[in-house]
Order: sequence, then C-alpha cells, then structure tokens
Amino acid sequence: MITPLNLDVRRRIMAASGGAIIAAAWLSVFTVSETEFAIVTEFGRPVRTVASAGLHAKWPYQGLLRFDRRLRVYNPRPSEFLTKDKKNLVIENYVCWRIQNPERFVQTVGDPIAAEMRLHDIVWSGLAASLGNLELDSLVSAEPHRAHGDDLMETLTRDTSRRALEQYGIEVADVRVKRLNLPEQNKQSVFARMRAERERIARQYRAEGEEEALRIRAEADRQKEEILSAAYGAAYARDPQFYKLVRTLDAYKKILDDKTTAVLSSDSELLRILTKGAEARK
Amino acid sequence: MTSVGSTLEPVESVDRPVEPIGRRETPPASRSLTGRTVATVLFAFYLLSGLYIIPADQQAVVTRFGRVTDRRALPGIHYALPWPFGRVYRLRVLETRRAVIGGEAADQTLGRSQPFQMQFLTGDQNVVQMRVVAQYHIASPPDFLFHAQDVETLVRDAVEAQLTRETAGRGVDALLTTDKAQVQQAAQSSAQTLLDGYGLGVSVSSVNIESAGPPPEVADAFRDVSGARADAARIVNEAQGYAHDVIPRARGNATQMHEAAAAYRARKINEAEGDAGRFRKLSDEYEKARGVTSQRMYVETMELVLPRIKKLILDRDVDLSILRRPE
Repeated sequence: MITPLNLDVRRRIMAASGGAIIAAAWLSVFTVSETEFAIVTEFGRPVRTVASAGLHAKWPYQGLLRFDRRLRVYNPRPSEFLTKDKKNLVIENYVCWRIQNPERFVQTVGDPIAAEMRLHDIVWSGLAASLGNLELDSLVSAEPHRAHGDDLMETLTRDTSRRALEQYGIEVADVRVKRLNLPEQNKQSVFARMRAERERIARQYRAEGEEEALRIRAEADRQKEEILSAAYGAAYARDPQFYKLVRTLDAYKKILDDKTTAVLSSDSELLRILTKGAEARK
Repeated sequence: MTSVGSTLEPVESVDRPVEPIGRRETPPASRSLTGRTVATVLFAFYLLSGLYIIPADQQAVVTRFGRVTDRRALPGIHYALPWPFGRVYRLRVLETRRAVIGGEAADQTLGRSQPFQMQFLTGDQNVVQMRVVAQYHIASPPDFLFHAQDVETLVRDAVEAQLTRETAGRGVDALLTTDKAQVQQAAQSSAQTLLDGYGLGVSVSSVNIESAGPPPEVADAFRDVSGARADAARIVNEAQGYAHDVIPRARGNATQMHEAAAAYRARKINEAEGDAGRFRKLSDEYEKARGVTSQRMYVETMELVLPRIKKLILDRDVDLSILRRPE
C-alpha cells in the first residue's frame, strides 16, 4: 500500500456512510404494482394497507408484505350432490375470488391454498343446501325458462361472498356451475334409457313410413278400380249387347283349356254343314 | 418488483443496463477525466435504454413505479423511464386466442381426453358429447394484464358454464339439430357478460360447437334412428312408385276398352248398312244378316278354342246347350 493509513480510513468511513444513506433511502421507498396490495408492518404487526399502485414511502425499519389482488379461479373437484327428489348429480363448479381485505386475509388465512380450502367448504355446504331444496327438473329441463340454475348461482355467490369477506377478507366474484353430469354408476342406466328412447323413435319412424305407404297403395288400388269400373260402365252404356258378347267370349277363352273335353252335337250350328251338307241350312 | 404469489410474467422491453448508481460508488475516488467520461457515457446509455419500439402486430402497456401510465401504446417508437422505474408490457392485441372445451382434437383421436370432459347433460336427461372452441381477443390490455391471474382458464370456465346452462335447457334432438346455432350464440353473449363482470378485458368473438353427438355407448341407437328415417322415406317412395304405375295402366286399359267398343259399334253399323244394301238386291231367300258379325265372332272364338280341347262329336239327340251360341 502506498497511500497513507489515515487517508484510507477516511475513505472507508465516507464510503460506508454514503452506502448507509443510500441503503436507508432504498429501504424507505417502495413500489406497488397494479396487481397487488402491500401491507406495511412494524416488527410483524400490520400498520397500514397500501392499495394504490405507484411509489410509496415508509420508515426504513418497517417491513412489507405483498398480496396478489388479481382475480383467481378455483376449480374444486367435481362432487356428487343429492337433489330434493333424491337424484344424484355430479356438479363441477368454479369459484372466482380475490383478496379484498389483505389484513384480514393475512390474519385468518395467510396463503391462497388455505383460502381455497376454506372456500371449498363454504361453497360445498351452500351448494348441498340449495340443491337439497331443488328438484332435478328445475335444474335440467327441456322446457325453456324452467331451469332455475341462474337464481341458484346468484344466491350462492352472494352468500359465499358475504361469509368469505366477513371471515377471511376474500371477495367471491362468482360461483358458477361449470358442468352438470350424472354419476358414473348411473350412466349405464341412463344409456339404457337413451337407447330405449332411440329405439322407440326409430320404430315410430318406420311405422309411420309403413302407414303412409299402405295408404298410398290402397289409394292407388281404389283409383284403379274406379277407372276400370267406369270404363266397363261406359262400354255397357254404349252397347249392352256388345258388352255381353265380349264378356262371354272372354270367359270362354279363359274357361276352355287343353283339359276340356267338349261334347259337340252333329246338329250344332258349327257342325251342321259338316254333317248335312250345304243344303241343310234352314 | 416481485409480488407474493405472482405468476404474471411481463415481457421485458428494455435491455437491463448496467446499474449506473452502483457503478459510481465502486471505483476508487479517481478524479481522472477518463473515469468521468466513462461514467457520463454509461449514464447516457442508461437513459437511452428507455427507448422502445413496438412492432405493427403489438401494443403495449407502460407502468412507472408499478402504476399504469400508458394504457395503450400503439406501434411506433416511444420513451419510458428505464428499468427499474419504468416497465413496458407488450401484447399481441389483435391475436385471436382459443379456449378449447372437451379436449384437443389430437387428444380425442389418441383417446387421451376424459369422456367426462366432453359430456353435457341435456334438458331431457340425455347425455351429449361436445367439443367446443371459443375464440377471444384482448379488448383492454391493462385489464387483461392486471385483473386476473389466469385469463385463459377463466374464459374457458365461463364459456363452459354457459354451455352447460344452455344444454340443460334443451332436449337432445333439438340440441343436435336445430338449436346448435342458437346455443353457440347464447353461450357467446352470456359468457361475454360474465367475463365483463370479472373485468378481464377480453372480447369473445365466437363460440363454435365443433362436434356434437351421442356418447359412443349409444351412438348405434342414434344411427338407427336416422336409418329408420331413411327406411320410412324409402317405403313411402316405393308405394308412390306403385301408385304411379298402377293408375296410368288402369287408365290405359279403360281407354283401350272405350276404343274397342267404339270400333265395334262402327263396324257393326257399317256391316249392317252393307248387308242391308246387299240383301235388298238379293232375294228374300237369305236370312237376315243382322247376326252376321256376332256369328263371325262366335265362329272365330270357336276356331281359337276348339283346336286346344278334346272334341267328341255326337248326334243331334244329345243336348249340348252349353255350346250353343248365346242369344
């Protein structure tokens, strides 16, 4: 070392005090982001909550706790509920929540996972209670405007939010049924019912088709008969004698075949000339 | 700038410069010109690092000390306070984002997606399997960035909840045929209302039911219904074919009979007239010719009939009235 000892000590003292001043300044300002709350603490005790984003000041000895204030979504596992008419229903819901009162939150819950467990209990008991008062038909119905799911969710959200805010400083923005389903063990009977229903519909379609086809055929046959009988009628009206002749000769053509044996008189009109000669004509 | 439980990872815009404050402390208290120049140049570079460029497909949100100062910085060159005071979050605002409900198509072909994820309960307590894709984009960048932890999950959950609500209010047949467009429309607008309520700063542009059908366990029964519908149509068509065949044929037969009757009548009149003329000229010895035509027809018929039958010719005393010509 070339430099004198006293100069070196002075420099060290200056550097140390400068560093201390900078560190103190650094410790007495803090920033709060748009996504968070900050709690200023004195030896662990919360003193005040800073909710607005930006640059803030505190004493250097004060500590800071930061909490994410953004909306979170919690998806509890699907659970089975019983409706008023004793039908099982598997419901999957989601809960949107955010920290509203960080001081209360840090005192009662502390971290998001514990918060979700508490929310799960509140939502589950709320759902179980309100579903126990509803028939399945009022949740699931092909008739429009029969389903009361929306009212249920609104009430549930309001109740959950009130309880969560009072107890844990949590705001519940929404509780909503994400999926309705039937329990796995009921599925087979539901599928059997669906199958039976489809078979009924298929049978109905085929029967309706056959009915229509029969009607068309019968109608065609009726028209055919009408046309033919009208034609015979017309022929008869025109010349009754001719009608009689045609029908009789047609009948001969049909009746007389190779199995017929005709016994003819030699006196018959056809054969008279054969037996008696031309002179035999009357 | 760290926060408890933060999962947000903003796009860092500025290159981290060398920290000038710290740098000025560390060198020994040199009063040389070169040391000052180096420090000044470094400080100038530090200030310049606040310049940032936003390309055409992006927009940015700018914060100073954590507070939003520019909600929507458009493409171009801008200046913000350098790190650690200012921060620029860039976003592809116009990009269409997708939320898939019911598993990706690839998962389905590989059999990876859970059936439960796809199944919805209909109003008439049938089960349908659906795969739905919602498309959305960022409407308000700061809301999108700072209001929720997991926007994508929230969008998917909200759309799914509204789909469940719509399917629970409809019958399976309507759902699979006529009401599909209605369901898409209703789910889109009601999901948008929910998301606006959450303040997510997104806009749902469409909810599209990509596939909807019965679960595989009952698919064959559903197919049989469409088979039955086709069968019914076929049977009716065949009957109509029969009707279209038999009625014109009958009409043709009728026309034929009319014509035959008319021809007979004309012939008979002609023959009668001809015969009458001939008989007037010839003597009264001949029989009247009135029956000639019918006689001829009779004989012609006998010519047709008699060759194919066995004949036994007897004498006159035998009664053979069956073969007598009709009177």
